[in-house]
Amino acid sequence: MSRKPEEASCRLTIDGREIVVAADTPVIDAAERLGIMIPRFCYHPALGAVGACRMCAVKFLDGPVKGLQMSCMVGARDGMVVSTTNPEAVDFRRQVVEWLMANHPHDCPVCDEGGHCLLQDETISGGHALRRYRGPKRTYRDQDLGPFVAHEMNRCIHCYRCARFYQEVAGGRDYGVLSIARRTYFGRYEGGRLESPFAGNIIDLCPTGTLTDKPSRYRARRWDLERGPSVCLHCSLGCGLTVGARYREVMKLEARLNPEVNGHFICDRGRYGFGYESRPDRPRQPRVDGRETIAGAALAALAEGLKPFEAGKVAMVGGTRSNLETLAALLGLCRDQGWRPPVFFRDARLAGAAESAAAALSGDLVASLADVGRADVILVVCADPLAEAPMLALSLRRAARRGAAVLVLDHRPCDLPCEAERLTFAPQELAGCLSRLAHAALRGRKEAAAYLSSLPLPPDLLPETALALDTWGKRLAEARFPLVVCGTDQAEPTLPALAGGLARLLAGSHDQDRRAGFLPLLPGPNGLAAALAGGGDLEALLADIEDGRATALLVVESDLLSRTPEPERWLAALRKLKLLAVCDHLPSPLLEAAHVVLPSRTVFEAGGHFVNQEGRLQRAMPVFSPGLPMGRTLREGHPPRLFMSCAPGSEPRPAADWLKDLAGLLGAGGRAGDWADLAAAFPGLPGLAAGPAPENGRRCLPETAPGADAPSVAKTGSPDVPPDHLQVLLVERTFGTEELSCRAPLLAASAPEPWVDLAAADAGKAGLAHGAWLLVPLPGGPLRARLRVHQDMAPGLLLLPRDPRLLWQRLAGTGVLVELLRLHAITAEEEPAGEDTTLEAEP
Amino acid sequence: MPLKPDFEPVLFKNRRGDRPATFDEYRQGGGYEALLATVGKKSPEEVVRMVTAAGLTGRGGAGFPTGRKWAGVPASAPYPRYVQPNTDEMEPGTFKDRILVNADPHLVIEGIILCAYAVKAQRGIFFIRPSYESDAQLIERELAVARAAGFLGSGILGSDFSFELSVHRSAGRYICGEATAQVNAIQGLRPNPVKAPGAHLTEAGLWGRPTVVNNVETLASVPHILTRGPEWYKSLAATPTGDGTKLYCVSGKVARPGCYELPMGTRLSDIIYEHAGGMLPGGTFKACLPGGASTAFMPETLFDIPMDFPSLKAVGHHLGTASMIVFDKNTCLLAATINIIRFFVRESCGWCTPCREGLPVILDILERIEAGEAGEADVAWLETMTRQLHHAYCAFAPGAAAPIEGLLRHFRDEVMDHLDGRGCPFGAPELADKPGAWHLPKGGRP
Repeated sequence: MSRKPEEASCRLTIDGREIVVAADTPVIDAAERLGIMIPRFCYHPALGAVGACRMCAVKFLDGPVKGLQMSCMVGARDGMVVSTTNPEAVDFRRQVVEWLMANHPHDCPVCDEGGHCLLQDETISGGHALRRYRGPKRTYRDQDLGPFVAHEMNRCIHCYRCARFYQEVAGGRDYGVLSIARRTYFGRYEGGRLESPFAGNIIDLCPTGTLTDKPSRYRARRWDLERGPSVCLHCSLGCGLTVGARYREVMKLEARLNPEVNGHFICDRGRYGFGYESRPDRPRQPRVDGRETIAGAALAALAEGLKPFEAGKVAMVGGTRSNLETLAALLGLCRDQGWRPPVFFRDARLAGAAESAAAALSGDLVASLADVGRADVILVVCADPLAEAPMLALSLRRAARRGAAVLVLDHRPCDLPCEAERLTFAPQELAGCLSRLAHAALRGRKEAAAYLSSLPLPPDLLPETALALDTWGKRLAEARFPLVVCGTDQAEPTLPALAGGLARLLAGSHDQDRRAGFLPLLPGPNGLAAALAGGGDLEALLADIEDGRATALLVVESDLLSRTPEPERWLAALRKLKLLAVCDHLPSPLLEAAHVVLPSRTVFEAGGHFVNQEGRLQRAMPVFSPGLPMGRTLREGHPPRLFMSCAPGSEPRPAADWLKDLAGLLGAGGRAGDWADLAAAFPGLPGLAAGPAPENGRRCLPETAPGADAPSVAKTGSPDVPPDHLQVLLVERTFGTEELSCRAPLLAASAPEPWVDLAAADAGKAGLAHGAWLLVPLPGGPLRARLRVHQDMAPGLLLLPRDPRLLWQRLAGTGVLVELLRLHAITAEEEPAGEDTTLEAEP
Repeated sequence: MPLKPDFEPVLFKNRRGDRPATFDEYRQGGGYEALLATVGKKSPEEVVRMVTAAGLTGRGGAGFPTGRKWAGVPASAPYPRYVQPNTDEMEPGTFKDRILVNADPHLVIEGIILCAYAVKAQRGIFFIRPSYESDAQLIERELAVARAAGFLGSGILGSDFSFELSVHRSAGRYICGEATAQVNAIQGLRPNPVKAPGAHLTEAGLWGRPTVVNNVETLASVPHILTRGPEWYKSLAATPTGDGTKLYCVSGKVARPGCYELPMGTRLSDIIYEHAGGMLPGGTFKACLPGGASTAFMPETLFDIPMDFPSLKAVGHHLGTASMIVFDKNTCLLAATINIIRFFVRESCGWCTPCREGLPVILDILERIEAGEAGEADVAWLETMTRQLHHAYCAFAPGAAAPIEGLLRHFRDEVMDHLDGRGCPFGAPELADKPGAWHLPKGGRP
């Protein structure tokens, strides 16, 4: 891919040193490249220059601009001579700090920002110590902004970063600037929880202690924290995180800059999805037959227990939240022992969709999250960005603000923080609609003939819908950088391949300097690696266990019992097993049923590599050594006076280590487990061979995907839905459904009440109103939930979130239909007090 | 210098003491003839050329050449384009727009339509401050009359020129008078000024479309330029550097405060003595603000200066809105400055630090000087901070700095007389409403 011709560069002098930068680079950035950090408050690379704080004033001695100017507002030009140390500039900056400090409460000793406060740094480095201002100070009233953001307006220096992020970048409407002059206020019209799922970023952005992290407030100074780079595990995007831990407990997560992935920001699911690592019910002790034991004994018992089994009867279940090292060990174990291939996905549809998405990916086509912001026409198929990968929604907004057109084809009421056209179809119609759109986009293209002939027939469409699809097809064909996003959570198995094929042909339709992109969403942070590894699915495995074709089961970091729609059937099947071993760090009912429990470490303690949806290998560093959080081992406010060689509760080991040691005990292989073995385990990721991930990750996909041009399209079976019946679909939500973050105490305590969705047409037929309590007759028993009615949702569906607070597992099967007229609203007296809707299965 | 014997008012031609001129009265006096002679008969480019040739300068305070502003709308610019007549008039001491609108609403309306014709605009948004509610209603009423006469709406005078004008009431803040802030205000955004290098409202203003923001006095001058020609208009001025006539507002310690239409460049002394009736009995001229609160005090030594943009600029002053606030020798100019700075402290939009935080600190120092609680170091600091206000984001803080700079430049001795416990020689009137800020011993100053 070739870029546009080299941008004009210019040479300027800053403090006597020359630098060549692209013309119009802000002088503040040019100086930073020379290592000269010009003080700033309002300027932020992700928010741009607005010239509000006046802190970055420098003197322009020569060139097209003269005099004292703000270095963020002036673009670099040839011949500029800039002095950052000119006395006039220094005096002005000193005065700005004095002005900013005139009303400051001087409360650094009790301020959570103390120690990493930009205002503190600039005040001290500028030498401002004594206040000359003798007048009365301004006092603001603070607001309660919800459970995550603490508000202390008296510390505010009015840099406008928070409001600019909240409204411009995140599209939030409920927080912003109020009042004027000296009384300028940053907050909400009334106190209350910040509505945006990206609100936590204003904590990172605030250069003072005005907006601080509420959950970690007063618990640690910055210098007390054990900090390290990590990767977010709450969807497949792999955003960069900085973990801050203290006393064997994660205190807070912050966004870590990764320019091609998340940029400077993360979503609140990623920021507050921790806490599962210090739950009191986390398994920390190896167990054999319910009795606690030591690691060696548990492993020996497991190895001994596995020996009598015929290799073909041993099954392994892996999780897409495991690190790459664990997945490699798991694959190696199955291969070396001749066991059944490991199973990662909950059903055949998801496994098929993930595999077809993975097969369609290649280095020349895959798009990063940053690419989304660069695209000009974006097609989102069968994905609900805010629910499945929240940061994708932020990237879509960035694209839309730059003028990109966004089309979302989905059956759910996708809520996006930007302008987008919505066309709603039933899930089984999506492939047909995509086909119509692809025909319009690729009409007359010879090389597309094979692809087009492989597409399913479009469903019967309303004329205006067909016209809209054709128009969007043309738009994609004419786009400078078209991009196709495809989800896998709800998609038919062939859909990602069709979407990827369309993107590939769109790329081919362009001149040399144009490109197209494909961005699939995959299940879990290591969903791509799992999909490339292949294997079966849990539904098939369940049948095999019931039929006695699998009699020993090893489950590694997969919460299958809490995630299945058929828990009763699984429990019955598990009882048939002769051996069940579980290696995990999450508490689950599965642990109670297990013969052998091997406690594993979380990403914060074990670190490891993850490959995100664009094939980017990223590394999380272990941040602290495992053990019971200090707060829990205190006796009368003091740590127990016990002298031990290890911390209490430090028995968990990295899952990969358990598996490697097990392999050693089982005799075969006994691999060293070095990087070469890991790379060899994933032939679909050739880039792994180059070694562990560098700071911002490295793409590992093959440059081209052989055979991806002509996807093989299997006939997809659409369920026969009798009239006046609803298909119950399990869906993800931004908060409360994802496997790890739904165990996070912070999010569990604050996530909005779970609800079910119904299309307005269906709700009207059944006489159900938005906001009513609904009784849904499911095969496993009735489910009560609040109803939301949507205009922009496909009819014939009931959307049920996999939220542990709902009794969704009463679904007791897949493809469940409910009769529309059997849904009914509960009267006020019948409304549950609350405990009825929570799942008592939490151990 | 008395007026030329043949001077006849232009903008105030139809001004009556008791009520606004009606549509018919305006028509009888030759109103809308410019429009009739222009639409479909002159090209828009021709109108811009004539306004440029007349040397018409913006009457809102900056004195930017109007023709150049209009020519700044690129020929290829997208539609719809907007005209935004500015009647915010929040500058203290300024009331000319209100009187103009009240005297002859159709002169203003005709000027706006001609501007729209010149820049090929489709929509006009008449921005007016909320305290001018009766004037807003007057304009709305007269717009309906003009529309009924076929001067507004689609296909004006049978041509393909269509223009619609509506009234937008401000939420009422000083900064809304600033053109870019006003554009934000109309769009429902915070009225923060916007400054981007190389960006002009005439290219991207309201909703990203070309927008011409002009003071209504400027626009009201346009019909006369078109009917009687640029040369005639230029000749109206009293000085070669001036253009046309100007509405001068005079307030303060004068016998007949009011708004006077005079040739641009009339001498300050003539304005005060010939037209405003001189100082109040017993008063002696001490200083005046020549163009509203955001200009510097002018001392007696400049009493005979011609009041036009270039003449004042040459001596380091600004004509601003040509609203003279006159002070006599019994007035404490420090107290007057405090009064002005309190206004600016309150009206800052809060965007940049010097304005939001610096002005209150400056006000505090001024109040301390007035109370006798300050020393020479405070005056030096005040002077430094005032200079630094010029590095603020927009022109608001430099405007607020102007009276302080005038005070320190021309009346420094008076300021110094306040220091070190002496307090105000005139009796500290400005501190009476500020209880609790200082502990002044009963019966005297510390």
